[in-house]
Amino acid sequence: MVDRLTKDYGHGRGIFGVSFQVAPGEVFGFVGPNGAGKTTTIRQLMGFSAPQAGRATILGLDCWRRPSQILRRVGYLPGEIALPDGLTGSQFIRFMQGLRGARDSERLRDLLDLFQLDPRSQTKRMSLGDKRKLAVVTAFMADPDVLLLDEPTSGLDPIMQDCFIEFMRREKDRGKTILLSSHLFSEVEAVCDRVAIIKDGEIVSTVRTDDIRHNESKTYQIKFGTLADFQAFLTDCGPQVAFADQDERRVEVRIDDDDVNHLVRRLALYQVIGFKERKTTLEDYFLRFYESASQKGSHGPHH
Amino acid sequence: MDHTIEISGLTKDYGDSRGLFDVDLTVEPGQVFGLVGINGSGKSTMIRHLMGFLHPQSGRCSIQGMDCWRRAAELKRSIGYVPGEIAFPDVKTGFDFFNLQAGYFGKRDQSRLHDLIDRFRLDASAPLKRMSKGMKQKTAIVAAFMTTAPILILDEGTTGLDPLMQKVFTDLVREEKANGRTMFMSSHMFDELEASCDRVAFLKRGRVIEVVDMSQFNGDEPVKEYKIEFNQPQDYLAFLSRPFSVSRRQEHLNQVSVQVADLAVADLFAALADLDVRFITQVPRTLARHFIQKYYETEGHPHV
Repeated sequence: MVDRLTKDYGHGRGIFGVSFQVAPGEVFGFVGPNGAGKTTTIRQLMGFSAPQAGRATILGLDCWRRPSQILRRVGYLPGEIALPDGLTGSQFIRFMQGLRGARDSERLRDLLDLFQLDPRSQTKRMSLGDKRKLAVVTAFMADPDVLLLDEPTSGLDPIMQDCFIEFMRREKDRGKTILLSSHLFSEVEAVCDRVAIIKDGEIVSTVRTDDIRHNESKTYQIKFGTLADFQAFLTDCGPQVAFADQDERRVEVRIDDDDVNHLVRRLALYQVIGFKERKTTLEDYFLRFYESASQKGSHGPHH
Repeated sequence: MDHTIEISGLTKDYGDSRGLFDVDLTVEPGQVFGLVGINGSGKSTMIRHLMGFLHPQSGRCSIQGMDCWRRAAELKRSIGYVPGEIAFPDVKTGFDFFNLQAGYFGKRDQSRLHDLIDRFRLDASAPLKRMSKGMKQKTAIVAAFMTTAPILILDEGTTGLDPLMQKVFTDLVREEKANGRTMFMSSHMFDELEASCDRVAFLKRGRVIEVVDMSQFNGDEPVKEYKIEFNQPQDYLAFLSRPFSVSRRQEHLNQVSVQVADLAVADLFAALADLDVRFITQVPRTLARHFIQKYYETEGHPHV
C-alpha cells in the first residue's frame, strides 16, 4: 500500500522512506508522538499532496494520480476537523453524500442513532465531540471497503470511545480494511491486527498485537508473609526470579505458561499474602521503544 | 474553613436535564481531584462556576473560603487555569502570552518558564494563530503551571497531547502535588486520572453519581480478581465446589474468575495445587471499567 514514501518538510519533519502494506480485511494501527509523520502519511494516502519520492496506492490505485477515485472508495476521518461555515450538520452530510456517491439513507440513520448525533444544528455551534461524531458518520456512511481514520476517538467522551471501538470491531468483522492512527493504546490493542510505531518520520517497529496480548510467558509479583518463606522461595526457585526485594518480602518471577502448574504447587507450600500479574502492554512496548531510542542520542524534531 | 474547594447544593438548570443539579463536593488542600463524565454531563459548567464565569442558580461554591462568584477577581490571582476551549489573548507569540501571564501573576523566575518549555518541547516563539491543536494545548498548560498560584484548574488539560507529552504532564502534576498545590481537573483519559488523582467524581446528567477513592485502583486493592483456566472440565468443576467468591464463569473454556482477598490468597494456591491449571492471571481493577459499568448501571442497561 505504501512504498518508500518520502515527503521532506525540512528541519527533520516529514516522512522518510515509509513502507508498509495493509492486507484486505486487516486493521493496521499507527502510533507515534505528534509530529512523527502519522498525519502526513495519511494525507499522502488521500492524495492531498504529492510524494517527493516513493508511492502510495490503495486498491491498486495510485493515491496521487487518482484522487477522485480514492475519495469515492475510501472513507476518511481527518485528524483536525475543519467544517465549512454556514452549514448545518444535515447539509454537510448531504454535501458529502453527493461527493461520495452515498445513497443508503438507512445506513445513515443507523449511524446517527448509534452515535447519538442530532445533525440539525449549525456546524459552527457544535461541540468538539459532536463535530467528531459528524466526521465519523460521514466517513462511514458510504460503507467504503477501506477506511483511513486519523485519531478518530480524540475528543470523544469515554462512553462514546467505547461505543466507537465496538463499532470498529463490527466493521472489521464485516471485512473492512482500516488504517487507524491513535494515541489511545487501549483502542489500538482492542481493534488492530498489527501496529507500526513511527518516530521522526520513519517506521521504527511493526508488531502483531497478538504477540503482545497472548504472551506465552507471564511476569508475576509475589509477596510472602514471612522472611523465612521469602528466602526459602528464593532458594527453591532462584533461576526464575527476575527481581527480589527483601524489605518488602516480594519477588518477581517470569515463567512460561507451561510451567504454571509447577509454580502454583510451589506457592501452595508457602504463606503467600499477595499475588499479581505485571502485564506487558502496547504502551510499555511503545515507551520502551522511545526511551531506548532516545538514549541512542536521537533528537526530537524541535531540537 | 478547611476545604480548599467547597461546592454545596450547586444548581444550574439549562433545561432538558442539562446543567448541574444539587452538586456537593469538597477538595482538601494538596489534593488532586478528578472529574469524569460524558460530553454534556456538566463538567465544564462546574469548572466555569469555580472560575466565577457563571452565577449559580442556587447553592454556592467557594475556593479558599472565598465565594467564587462574588470574589472572582481576587481569586483569579490564586488560580492557574487551562480552559476547555482555548482562546488566547490577542498577542503574537507564545512568549508574548507568557510575559502577559507573568505580569498578571507577579514575576516568577524565568528558569521555571524555560524548564517547562523544554519539558514540553514547545516552540514558544511561534505565532499563536499558526499553532497546531497540540501546541496550543501545551502553551495553555505552560501558562497555567508557570505561575505560583496555589490552585490549578484544568478543563481537559491533555486533549490533543500525544502519549509522550501526556506522560510529561502527569509527571508535572505529581511534582506539583508534592509541592502542595491543589488541583481540580476534568478528563476523558482514565490513565491520566489513575496516575495522578486522589479522588475522582463521576458526573452524569449534572449529578455526581459517585466519588471514588483512587487508592482502590492503584493495583494494591486488598481484594483482587483472578482469572483461572483449567485444562480439564473436571478440574474446573472441582474448583467451583470450593468456597471462593466467583464473579464470572465460562464453562466452554473451563474458565473462572474469582475475587480473593490478599490475606486469603494462600487458600487459593492450596486449592489449585492438586488441579491442572492452564493459566492464571490477575485482572486489574481499572477506573475505565468501573466507570462504564457504573454508567450503565444507573442507566438501567445491562452490564457491558
